[in-house]
Amino acid sequence: MGMTITEKIMANQSGRSSVKPGELVWVDVQSVMTMDYLGKTCFEKFKSLGKTEVFDKDRVICVSDHLVPPPNQKFATMLNEWREVVKEHDITHFYDLGRQGIAHQIMVEQGHVLPGTVSIGTDSHANTYGAAGAIGNAVGVTDAAVAMATGKAWFRVPSAVKFHITGEWQPFVMAKDLSLHIMGMMHWNGHLIYKTLEFDGPGITSLSMAGRMTLCNMTVDLGAKNGIVAPDETTKAYLEGRAKGDWEMIASDEDAVYEQSYEINLSNLGPTIALPDKLDDTVPIEKAIGKKFNKAFVGTCTNGRLEDLEILARIMKGKQIHRDVNMIVVPASQTVYLDALRAGYLETLIMAGAAIDTPSCAACAGIHTGVAGDGDIVLSAGNRNMKGRMGSKNAQIYLTSPAVVAASAIRGEITDPRTFDI
Amino acid sequence: MIKGKCWVADDYVMAYNIIIQEYWTTAIDKEDNSRWVMAGVHEDFNSENAFKDRGYTFIVAGHNFAGGGKSIEHVIAGLMGAGIKTVFATSFARLQFRNAINYGLPFVTSKDIDKDCSTGDELEYNPQTGEIKNLTTGKSFDSLPAAPFVAKVGQAGGLMNYVRDKIAKGEAIT
Ligand code: SF4
Repeated sequence: MGMTITEKIMANQSGRSSVKPGELVWVDVQSVMTMDYLGKTCFEKFKSLGKTEVFDKDRVICVSDHLVPPPNQKFATMLNEWREVVKEHDITHFYDLGRQGIAHQIMVEQGHVLPGTVSIGTDSHANTYGAAGAIGNAVGVTDAAVAMATGKAWFRVPSAVKFHITGEWQPFVMAKDLSLHIMGMMHWNGHLIYKTLEFDGPGITSLSMAGRMTLCNMTVDLGAKNGIVAPDETTKAYLEGRAKGDWEMIASDEDAVYEQSYEINLSNLGPTIALPDKLDDTVPIEKAIGKKFNKAFVGTCTNGRLEDLEILARIMKGKQIHRDVNMIVVPASQTVYLDALRAGYLETLIMAGAAIDTPSCAACAGIHTGVAGDGDIVLSAGNRNMKGRMGSKNAQIYLTSPAVVAASAIRGEITDPRTFDI
Repeated sequence: MIKGKCWVADDYVMAYNIIIQEYWTTAIDKEDNSRWVMAGVHEDFNSENAFKDRGYTFIVAGHNFAGGGKSIEHVIAGLMGAGIKTVFATSFARLQFRNAINYGLPFVTSKDIDKDCSTGDELEYNPQTGEIKNLTTGKSFDSLPAAPFVAKVGQAGGLMNYVRDKIAKGEAIT
């Protein structure tokens, strides 16, 4: 019987010839990521296991993203303690303020995730790594500490669900729209709990790495264990010069077993939007057009990449953001920031009246940089919209693609980018 | 055999309501985390020790208990600190399911448990057979027995102890 790509990776990395869904395996991990507000606890737990040195200093990746730049003294102090502990363990790859980015972006962009391997991180959107043909998995600090000590993590082999994406991407329709569409179809934390989601088909072959990252990123919000796109030429080209190690192509067998398969034809997919409070309350944009809002936000591990900033610039070039809208744009990493600066995107956005902030999670988790206050209506290209997520419980958050945010910010109301005069 | 009172939750009790945002960046500590556990789930629990003081031993929940995609272990530590010995639900969110296994707090899946229990009912749970008896109503429920690995970790008092012991003995982790 054939195996899915996720089963193959779990078999390879646990030294077995095959695995079946439901089996429990200890796999070797490629990289373990932890970040500012949980990292210190990770290292403390690691030490309490009786080890002094991590399993591989090059493969424990430390990132400052949630708390930087520190918005208050409490976080400044936490960051200082975090820096101490990273230094103490002589970690090779420390992406601190100045070299920072959102951890999931860093992990893929800096080549810490390799196709055919397993990487874990102490933040829920570690599913993003699936874009590089890897198993990316979110864990708690205990699992991370154990992996830091042993280079291993336990997994139950998940059963698989396939999404076969056909047809062609329509203008101004992005991976985010597909994610939100699937969210509406399958429900937030609904039927896909514990599953591995595999994306394939012509609609995936033609999708950029940035798009694949968006798609895999939000599989955690579907409740899935991981989302994955098998490596192909796009992956290879992207990893050229980035990959921190050798890797090989890997794919699901023809006769791999899927619990369920769905086909989605992109010719029917338009811009999609999640209404406030529930991620799976998604509608085609037609149903939300004209809705007024006062804050626009583009950034996060879902949509803060160069491609996202490029589409903002394309739509907003030579235009002015509506006077009733404040817009904040936060590149996902310093690399993205610099690339967007060099490409002139940031200049275009600043000329249009957007505020650009230094890479971080920003207001996504309601911690800093443009948090929502009472009565705010936010149009966000982020990933979560539950009450209070970005700050006030009395704010509303609509989630959509960067293209929709761009066109809407100009008009001051939710606007379909396809009918927008560029 | 574990015996005690249960609290019946709704579907979709979210991890980030079990431990609210203010406490995400505090230390993971059973005693500490238990003081404000469930603060965001119900108004009645939004004061210090409110949930803990009710003395529940079990939680009975529906679909996707502790969901919403937060990986923080404060959730499990807080529940344990509040005296919760087992959580029954029709399904669990995977991140906290994993954390619960790692802490040795049984998260037990039981198909119909959410339909026939009320808050305050006295339950009796037999971890060996998986049987859950509602002593107040006389009804019984089946549950899935824990996988051998999960049981081993539970017996060790959590993954940290399990792995620490293996490291100390120089044993391979498999
Ligand atoms: S950007 Fe938002 S979702 Fe992504 S890691 Fe940061 S806080 Fe989490």
